[in-house]
Amino acid sequence: MFFDLIQNTLDGLAMGSSYALLAVGFTLIFGVLRRVNLSYGPAIMFGGYCATWVHLNFQAGLLALAIITIAGAVLAGAYVERLCFAPHRQGSAIAAMVASFALWMQFEEAVTLVMPSHVYDFPAMYDGPPFEFGSLTLRMEALVMLACAVAISYGLHRVLSGSRFGLAVRAVIDSPVAAQLAGIDVPRVLLQVFLLASSIGGLAGYLIVSTHTQITPMLGMWSTLKGLLAMMIGGLGSLPGAVAGGLVLGVLEAHSQWFLGPQSRDLLAFLLLFGLLAVRPYGLWRASSAEAEA
Amino acid sequence: MTRKDHPLLEVSELVTAYGKIEALKGVNLSVEQGSITCLLGPNGAGKTTLMMTTAGILKPRGGSIRFAGTEIAGRAPHAIVAQGVALVPENRLVFPAMTVIDNLQAGAYQRRDRVETGADLERMFARFPRLKERSAQLAGTLSGGEQQMLAVARALMSRPKLLLMDEPSLGLAPLVVEEIFRIIADLHMDGATIFLVEQNAHMALKVAQHFYLMEQGKVTFSGTPGAMAEDEVIRRAYLGSAKA
Amino acid sequence: MDFYFGLAQIIGVHTLLGLSAYIVLLTGQVSLAQAGFFAVGAYVAGMLTVLAGWAILPALAVSSLFGGAVACAVGFPALRVKGLMLVIATLAFGEAVRLFFFNFDYQVAKGGVKLGPVGGEGFRQIRYFPEHGWTTMEVMLFIWGFVILAMALLWWFDRSRYGAVLRAVGEDELAAQSVGINLTAVKVSAMTVGGMIAGLGGGIYAHYTTHIEHASFGILLATFALAYPILGGLESVFGTVVAVVFVQGLLVEGLRFLGDWRNLLFGALIVLAMNVRPKGFLDAPALLWIGRIFRGRRGAA
Repeated sequence: MFFDLIQNTLDGLAMGSSYALLAVGFTLIFGVLRRVNLSYGPAIMFGGYCATWVHLNFQAGLLALAIITIAGAVLAGAYVERLCFAPHRQGSAIAAMVASFALWMQFEEAVTLVMPSHVYDFPAMYDGPPFEFGSLTLRMEALVMLACAVAISYGLHRVLSGSRFGLAVRAVIDSPVAAQLAGIDVPRVLLQVFLLASSIGGLAGYLIVSTHTQITPMLGMWSTLKGLLAMMIGGLGSLPGAVAGGLVLGVLEAHSQWFLGPQSRDLLAFLLLFGLLAVRPYGLWRASSAEAEA
Repeated sequence: MTRKDHPLLEVSELVTAYGKIEALKGVNLSVEQGSITCLLGPNGAGKTTLMMTTAGILKPRGGSIRFAGTEIAGRAPHAIVAQGVALVPENRLVFPAMTVIDNLQAGAYQRRDRVETGADLERMFARFPRLKERSAQLAGTLSGGEQQMLAVARALMSRPKLLLMDEPSLGLAPLVVEEIFRIIADLHMDGATIFLVEQNAHMALKVAQHFYLMEQGKVTFSGTPGAMAEDEVIRRAYLGSAKA
Repeated sequence: MDFYFGLAQIIGVHTLLGLSAYIVLLTGQVSLAQAGFFAVGAYVAGMLTVLAGWAILPALAVSSLFGGAVACAVGFPALRVKGLMLVIATLAFGEAVRLFFFNFDYQVAKGGVKLGPVGGEGFRQIRYFPEHGWTTMEVMLFIWGFVILAMALLWWFDRSRYGAVLRAVGEDELAAQSVGINLTAVKVSAMTVGGMIAGLGGGIYAHYTTHIEHASFGILLATFALAYPILGGLESVFGTVVAVVFVQGLLVEGLRFLGDWRNLLFGALIVLAMNVRPKGFLDAPALLWIGRIFRGRRGAA
């Protein structure tokens, strides 16, 4: 029993690391644009399918596949930003969300047109045995994912607090009008942030599909929902919060799956989120309220 | 460079509208190199709209804004800053969640000369010692007067050729207002060109060389401080009839 | 002809779904829970006619009440959250409802056949209309009777003080509160009315498709519900109908000849529509223009 609990927690942390990475990208976009990008996950899925297509048609190494996934996600992200977010910068947040949803449909259609089977195999990052500590096991991919999540959020933190680009990003978050008056090219910064977030999403996507060793069009919705959930739990707009939120979500899911079975796992996650929002509307780790009001 | 016969800033027939409502209905005015020019007018006359249009935040519907001989009307705000125009906006608009020093660094965002920027930062701290004391503090925690100084310093960090100031004394205590105007006079002594929107005509009279009056989206008076003090209507509306 | 009746059925049901989001949007709340209320209505109505042997009208009445009750229950906690947080909270609720039905088994043996919802497989054989010999046209007219009823109700709301109050809350909550409007009552009532319309729509949907499953009630449907009033504009209920006809009639059916490429163009057209008309097809100037045409004609006659 005790070992099961620890094993579940480990499994949850492993799954949660992928949620954490997804949430970091989501948080970056949400923090700067104050818009929900429903196409965030589908753009990642698009990148994953690009890599799958290359994998099926050419010999490509793992690194090449990772780079192609990221490149595909960035390309798709640029498409989303130009069509959904650049035109609605001053306008309605809902119009941008509806437009991003329309692009989601496009991405799903595009990948199923080129690759009509429902499931495709994806090469595993590592197919050796898992680590074992006594009777506990931890998969290698989980460690890589956790390391990536921590490294990327730390790296982002450094970039945001210490670089010229980071200064511009923080200024845009703080006051877009003042940022323009200070001579910052705000539309350009927004596009750059979007592309950066898409590349982080792409990396998360690569790690996820290579862990699952398969890809389906459902990856799009899955990534959007999990990223959104983890971002919410972590408190909007906070990068360490996004990492923590992802890990918490993963561990909660692992335990509820063990206690209640896989069927009830997602149901519980959503009920929890709804309840959490009703009690703490601005996330677990956020005291201020002004930012969350759109 | 700017020839003597061309003013530094020349606004002609400028029209800016919010939907169907024209806030500026063909504004004409100019700001001479090295001067302090002051724009007076009642609330809703379009003064802030003029400032925001000049800085590129609002897009004009028609007319032109020439700065140092270059057309800047309708260009992006960052491009206008690059030309050498900086606006100290109404109500300060500092970056509240950033430190004082980061606010100043953001003002120098377009400059790549790190050493010079660092020197300018020290100059700002020398000019505004209060900001130096609070350099690590979040700008949102500063007092109104301190935020105003920060907004001025942030604008100066871009090394502007023309400084636009939108009601720098708004909502500040009389002593602080005096300090702000002392700073404006100091900047002018150092050669700055300043275009100032101000409701406090008494304070403005002490520093400005030229006045414009704007009412309902149009310039209705242009003249020297002396001419302004002689105008019956303006005197009554802005200086109080007691002084007559 | 049946093809067009079938299309009119789809348009009718989606209009109900869109109207349920419309009234909630008027109060400034963006809800992705409408598909959830729709699902509740679908399952409740289906179970009443199939398992309990009820007639269609009382079953729809109860499904509508259920939708309203669930929406009312969601409305209270949702009051605490605003803007994008509400979008996410309602999305979570909608997904929770979908997953509930994904796990929901309730089968009863009827005449040697087991009927009722079975988890992921869904709920088959909701055959009230065929069993009672309704033709496609009759079903279509039945549906549009409800659509017109709901539209008339909302149109009347819009003209009344209630509509003004809803819009006041939508435009500026603080201002509305300061003139003595009870925010809780207004928002929860709008949510409840929206839930009732969605529950009704879901009940009808279950009966004309005869087979419902959890996957139909996901985020896709929830976003469609929201997209209709947004695309159509919040000035008038007719905007929502125009948007449903545009999306379901012109895009979904009209582009069917494109086959697999349909959704690509579909997405592009929605993005284009949002960029060209960010306030919807029937925004204030468009309505003014239409009004002028009608008045002009009447004047000439």
